[in-house]
Amino acid sequence: MIAAYLRSIARRFLWRAQTERETEEELQSHVQLRADALERGGLERAEAQRRARIEFGSQVQFKEECREAMAGNAVDQAIQDVRFSFRALWKAPGFSLVAVITLALGIGATVATFSVVNTVLLRPFAFSHPEKLLWIYSQRSDNPRTNFSLPEYCDYRDQVTSFDGLAGVASFNPSFADSGPPERVQGVRMSASAFAMLGVRPLLGRTFIAEDDRNGARGVVLISYGLWSRRYARDPAVIGRAVNLNGEMREIVGVLPASFALPNLDTEIVVPLQPDADPRRNLRNSVNFLRFVGRLKPNVTVQQAHAEFDAIRQNLHRQYPDVYTGKIGITLIPITEEIVTNIKSVLLTIFCAAGAVLLIGCVNLAGISLSRAAARQRELAVRTALGATRRQLTRLLLTESFLLALVGGSLGTLLAIWSQRMLLRLVPTDLPRIESFSFDWTVLLFAVALIFGAALACGLVPAWLLSRSDFRDALVSSGRGTAGGGLQSRLRTWLVSGQIALALVLLANAGLLLRSFALLSKEQPGFEASDVQTIRFSLPQTGYADVASLAHFYDQLHSHASAINGIKSDAVISILPLAPKSISFVHFTRPDRPPARPEDTPSTNYRIVTPDYFRTMGIPLLDGRGFTESDDGDHPLVAIVSAILAKDHFADRSPIGQRIVVDDTDGTPRQIEIVGVVGPVKQTNLETPAKADIYLPLGQMAKDGVPFFRNSAYWVIKTSGRAAGLEQVLRETIQNIDPNVAVGAVRPMAEFLVAALAARRFSLLLIGSFAAAALFLAAAGLYAVISYGIQQRNREIGIRLALGATRATILGMIFKEGALLVVGGLIAGFAIALALGRLVANQMYGVNEHDPFSFVVVCLMLSVISFLACAIAARRAMNIDPIVSLQCE
Amino acid sequence: MSEEAELLPGTLDLLILKAVSLGPLHGYAVLSRIEQISGKRLFIEQGALYPALFRLVRQGLLKTEWGKSENNRRAKFYELTAKGRKRLQQETDWWKRASAAVTAALAARPQQA
Repeated sequence: MIAAYLRSIARRFLWRAQTERETEEELQSHVQLRADALERGGLERAEAQRRARIEFGSQVQFKEECREAMAGNAVDQAIQDVRFSFRALWKAPGFSLVAVITLALGIGATVATFSVVNTVLLRPFAFSHPEKLLWIYSQRSDNPRTNFSLPEYCDYRDQVTSFDGLAGVASFNPSFADSGPPERVQGVRMSASAFAMLGVRPLLGRTFIAEDDRNGARGVVLISYGLWSRRYARDPAVIGRAVNLNGEMREIVGVLPASFALPNLDTEIVVPLQPDADPRRNLRNSVNFLRFVGRLKPNVTVQQAHAEFDAIRQNLHRQYPDVYTGKIGITLIPITEEIVTNIKSVLLTIFCAAGAVLLIGCVNLAGISLSRAAARQRELAVRTALGATRRQLTRLLLTESFLLALVGGSLGTLLAIWSQRMLLRLVPTDLPRIESFSFDWTVLLFAVALIFGAALACGLVPAWLLSRSDFRDALVSSGRGTAGGGLQSRLRTWLVSGQIALALVLLANAGLLLRSFALLSKEQPGFEASDVQTIRFSLPQTGYADVASLAHFYDQLHSHASAINGIKSDAVISILPLAPKSISFVHFTRPDRPPARPEDTPSTNYRIVTPDYFRTMGIPLLDGRGFTESDDGDHPLVAIVSAILAKDHFADRSPIGQRIVVDDTDGTPRQIEIVGVVGPVKQTNLETPAKADIYLPLGQMAKDGVPFFRNSAYWVIKTSGRAAGLEQVLRETIQNIDPNVAVGAVRPMAEFLVAALAARRFSLLLIGSFAAAALFLAAAGLYAVISYGIQQRNREIGIRLALGATRATILGMIFKEGALLVVGGLIAGFAIALALGRLVANQMYGVNEHDPFSFVVVCLMLSVISFLACAIAARRAMNIDPIVSLQCE
Repeated sequence: MSEEAELLPGTLDLLILKAVSLGPLHGYAVLSRIEQISGKRLFIEQGALYPALFRLVRQGLLKTEWGKSENNRRAKFYELTAKGRKRLQQETDWWKRASAAVTAALAARPQQA
């Protein structure tokens, strides 16, 4: 049956000419055969033929009925509809152009934002059964997301039963050297068993096996898809190459897939954890630097796992009361949730904003279609008279909007694809998985669905309305009262109110984001960023094993720098303020004021600096003295604290001369004297208030801290104005002292400030644009409705004028109706914004999501624009001549 | 004088299938054949025939082939397919059952008191 059906379709469309010929021939042969029969009955040939032809009836009707009996009627009808719609649209270029552009921009924007949402949020993560994977932090009283130490990891790993494996993960940012200058990369150290547990399959080569974690195993490393593309141009021969990581040779054994990501960690390279080879394996008090990831056993719930983990924690607490007292709990989060938690709400807000703009645009187009179609009433009446059913009329009118949506949508999608590079440049670079951004089938399918949706949104209501014959009859008698336009007008009024409501929601959101951004940019970071350059670098392992060698390196750096023209001062610090993803903090106690409970032991940000740091960064010295050259290993330990620490912990007296006990080694805490107080600095980001800081001089750094400091430090330089070519000079200076140093890019301090605001700026830019577009479209929609209403009531206005109404009265009437519409929209929008406010609350800074001031401003703005739209539309009413309008029918 | 009965829709298809089952026919011959086998009681409108034939071809019950008629004219011949033959059998059975039932119903006499 299917075969016969398909053959029938083929005959109708593909072999059309041949089929027509055959039908013609069959017709003729039938007529001839009939003529033969008649001739046999005694008639003349010519007469027989004539009779036969008349008997047969209409040949045209015959052909048409035969054609209809073949398959493919619907297709034929559709082709006809498309041809006709295309002609109709071609004849109305203004409308068609406006519609296509509106749809292209609306659909393009929505598709573009969806593609980002798809890459970051929707694409399956590289894990198998990610819902069973949990990311685990240690919980302290002031922070639910802190790290574990290595001995702790081994304990948990050996004791836990509710997990099918527990892996430790730590950040690891070595210098990466192949055949060329070393580059610093950001990666992780991870238990070798992790990959099997996560279910991650490598793109190339292999992942880790248990062997790789053994003490003394050959060094291996995995590289990310991004690193592979960037540095090796996706060369498959990268497997087996030897690379130098922090002075240690390792072999590349695999490439990770693009969809692989870990929460809050960069994974350019992955190396095995090798816990037994680590010197801190048995140091209970060693630094906390690990997070865990584990897979729940099949029948275990998160609550059960949490309970077991907590029980182990309490056991450890009992066994080692001095070390683990600060850890009061365990935080377990599903891994996929943790990866996207920071940006999920932002991305979805932007996506919905784009969708809202598209919706408003479609409603506008629907309104314009209605007005246009009112002029086609005669044509539609004729079609109905010729037998068109309501369904056929609806289909014909829908085809038009479908054509527009198809053209506009395709254009918009192409636009989104072509502007891919620009899109990626706008997006903040720390969006997880953004390196694997691409337009895949999901996005294309979404675009197609959007085109259908837009076609329906633009065309369904007008098509349905126009196919009603009672509606059309009323249209024919135009202007005689408002009955005919009544239904249409009411519908459009509701729609415009809806548009204004949506516009209000978007504008309110944009306004709140703008205020948040403005408040945030005004925040003082605590240092002077102007004319400060920074270079991040790391020293190789060989030759820098102790504090003295590090100090020697920096001394040389400093003396070279002092000789360079254009450098006012320079210094070195372990972690720069606002540097991303870098944390270092320690616990401390004031000996004469021990904390009430061990969990309350305060912590402070911990930084190693050289003496000129505060001067270089413009951080004011508020009390006491700064560091000098004599603060080295042979002299008493000293520290400088920030004003926050002084206020919180030394409220009763000046901290100068006081001693505190700082836990910054893997062994016993050290007693240090405070010699100075400096101003507070925002270390992590601009949004959270500044916390306590403690600074130690480089010469007195604890031996345990040498690997960290060696691995990553920043050289900050205060220049005197624009110094061109300085970057090259600085780089050369470092290389001249030691060519094995991995040097990063020179970045001005101001760039860190900008980067701290980057995500907000991105969000504000997009939502602001969408809000502006929504405002414009809603105003246009309002204008169209008011104009149409005036046009419909041409006669009525003429009568009123003739009966003595002043122009002012007419204007008042028009404005009153417009105002009603606008107020309705504002109220609805206000209600929606209130309801949705909770969803965007976490994006606000310094303002409440229900901030009345912002709402009032936005309402005023909308009202003014609406008023203008009404005014422009009403101008037409002013030009109505009562005589003309009463005559015109 | 033959009375022309009005055909129920669907019976035309059945008659065509039956007519063609006795051997491949061209369009005009189908008309004659139906007249003939119904004992000149059924005449088919020429306009109704061909759409029905095309429909049956679309449904896969008939297949077509160009050939020569009795007086050497080129004509399109229609022939039953295997499926058509089966459908003819089914429809014939149904028709017999249905018409028997209706006939019986119509022959019912009022009950004797």
